[in-house]
Amino acid sequence: MSLENFASSRALSLGVELELQLVSTHDYDLVASAEDLLRVMARKDVPGEVKPEMTCSMIEVSTGICNDYASVAAELESLRAALTDAARKLNIGICGGGTHAFQDWSERRIFDKPRFHYLSDLYGYLAKQFTVFGQHVHIGCPGPDAALYLLHGMSRYIPHLIALSASSPYVQGKDTGFQSARLNSVFAFPLSGRAPFVETWQDFEAYFRKMSDTGVVQSMKDFYWDIRPKPEYGTIEVRVMDTPLTVGRAAAIAAYIQSIARYLMIERPIRLSEDDYLVYTFNRFQACRFGFAGTYVHPETHEHCTIAEEIEASFARIEQHAIELGCDGALGELLRQVHEGRNDAAWLRERHTGGESLPELVMDQCARWMGGEAM
Amino acid sequence: MDLLIWPDWPLAPGALFPVAVALVLTALVGEAGGRFGLPRVSGYALAGLVLGPLVLGWFDTNDLAGHRLVIDFTIALVLFELGIRLDLRWLAANRWVVASSAGEIALTFALTFGALWAVGTGAGVALAVAAIAVGTSPVILMHVTNELRASGQTTDRLLALCAINVAVSVILLKLLVGALHGVHSGWQLALLHPLYLLLGSALAGAVIAAAYLGLRRLVDPATEQGLVAMIALLLAAIALLSALRLPTALAPLFAGALIKWRDRRPHLWPQQFGSFGGVLVIVAFMLAGAAVTAGELFAGAGIGLLTVLARAAGKLGGAMAFGPPSGLDLRKSLALGVGLMPLSVLALLQAEDVRLLYPEFGARLLPIVIAMTVVLGLLGPIATRRALIRVRETRRGETS
Repeated sequence: MSLENFASSRALSLGVELELQLVSTHDYDLVASAEDLLRVMARKDVPGEVKPEMTCSMIEVSTGICNDYASVAAELESLRAALTDAARKLNIGICGGGTHAFQDWSERRIFDKPRFHYLSDLYGYLAKQFTVFGQHVHIGCPGPDAALYLLHGMSRYIPHLIALSASSPYVQGKDTGFQSARLNSVFAFPLSGRAPFVETWQDFEAYFRKMSDTGVVQSMKDFYWDIRPKPEYGTIEVRVMDTPLTVGRAAAIAAYIQSIARYLMIERPIRLSEDDYLVYTFNRFQACRFGFAGTYVHPETHEHCTIAEEIEASFARIEQHAIELGCDGALGELLRQVHEGRNDAAWLRERHTGGESLPELVMDQCARWMGGEAM
Repeated sequence: MDLLIWPDWPLAPGALFPVAVALVLTALVGEAGGRFGLPRVSGYALAGLVLGPLVLGWFDTNDLAGHRLVIDFTIALVLFELGIRLDLRWLAANRWVVASSAGEIALTFALTFGALWAVGTGAGVALAVAAIAVGTSPVILMHVTNELRASGQTTDRLLALCAINVAVSVILLKLLVGALHGVHSGWQLALLHPLYLLLGSALAGAVIAAAYLGLRRLVDPATEQGLVAMIALLLAAIALLSALRLPTALAPLFAGALIKWRDRRPHLWPQQFGSFGGVLVIVAFMLAGAAVTAGELFAGAGIGLLTVLARAAGKLGGAMAFGPPSGLDLRKSLALGVGLMPLSVLALLQAEDVRLLYPEFGARLLPIVIAMTVVLGLLGPIATRRALIRVRETRRGETS
């Protein structure tokens, strides 16, 4: 199967997908209610889409194609309101967070859809282990080569995005010590990691053809890369973020990505090089493990600093673009939280180490997401 | 000369020994059922029947009366837990769930009463059987859902509808007994007694809830000492309720619902009050068989079966009619109706209580209720289990 053509899309247009947890309000464990929630949501008039995911305790919501932070925030907010209303009717809780704190993966059920059963047969327990919840952001690209430039440029910001969105310290009832343990589940898949270093769409097509000839992949969907091109939409898709605990934070992170994209596309500030990726997995690990306090190694200068320092520096670089895009207010709040070392993982740890049980923690997560609290 | 140091022959091991053997047998039958994919409670119920007067005759109705407190306590524990599953906020947010409960109850009552009336049992007995038929066995539902670690829309509704129909069933029967008082002792008693039972239970429920919430501040119910504190609280409650001659079923159920309403945190303890609750359930089913004699069973069999059918039609009809608007699909609505089938120990005790007050009336009522509980105590758990597996709401065993 060959790769489809790269569709045209409006440069810097924006789409956000959130994978969400469905929990029982009795014990706050995951509950297999996706089918019921989707049925109730089908009767509602909401922007974007609500779709099933791999296991029956998760759903994915997505916005339509948006222009800016304001419209993303508005669409996510109305999706949240509609979902909350439906969830109350069904007596279930909905929350953000990259992992469920204490679910037992072996109790999960695969959603009844051919592709999910196929994946489950192929990957075995990995598929059920994959009950993790991420935020994906699509950025529209003027053309395929520009998309690849954006993809490799954005790769430098992966640690930033991980630290800002990290919300998965707990897995299977234990503190992992990580801020984003979710990504460890993603790394288990054979086709995860980063896209190959090719700078033109022609080369990318050649790479895809070779992979497809090996019989290993059939479509772009088989790659679980941190950032991957999505030719049918004409976008690149950034996939490293945990689902934040609030839609407000999800919208702000999307705005941050859009501002970086504008900075990269307009200023073309970096010369791409394969060697950029020498420090990639180290930086990514540091972000997952330590969040803002992790070490960031600059891909060109090889200088070391903390991820928080590097994020602050990045805000200075993109400030003008954020103002142009009308999201400087939201990014200002995000920056303030970086200064204070606050993210969702810290919020979760603070509560559990303060004596709250994990089921109570999940209850608070639900209150935070469903109540539409500020980030 | 020193007779006290050597055992007597033949050995006289005392009353405890046969009870222990019976308990092991009951547990083993449950285990054997489990191997064949049957719910363990069905096995316990079967063992109870075999040990009772129906086959072996190890226990009889006197044992039932003598160990009544154990059974009452088991049911109170289960209803307390069930009450906590009844989230009143949910009922306020989704009125269709209330409608499906009301529909299921009304239809069951009307159809069973109609069927009995049609075959000429007399209005009194027909009303009493209909009132008992409204309830679903809370012990069986909690046991089967725990065994499968069931969770989901059908499970939630099953438990909520069970909590409501048990309360309604108990109240209806008390009202009916009130009417019997009216016939026998005048209208003041007919009015005052049910009122006392209802208000008393509500008040007692509030006191238990307040005590529980107070205790929870001191100990975590998920710990061993917390569990002991909670069990002690319920024991004290049962003792007081009995002394006040209030039904031991209603107050714990009310208390549970009040607790969840006042404090929406998860109220979790080792499942079904831990293995302690599990042992009690086995004992309760073992003893319940003591109420079943061959004579009564066969006397009630025909009408009992008719009632079972009418009741099934009522539960299925109510669930199917109101399930879809409340957010279930047809498959899950059907599963909900099927899941509500079990009827067991609580129904037997309800009928026994009527007999204690009005022996003659009870003698006509009991055979029918016995026949129903034999059928629905054995097959009901199987129906519930199949229904939950069918709608994929189990988290243990058959997951895919």
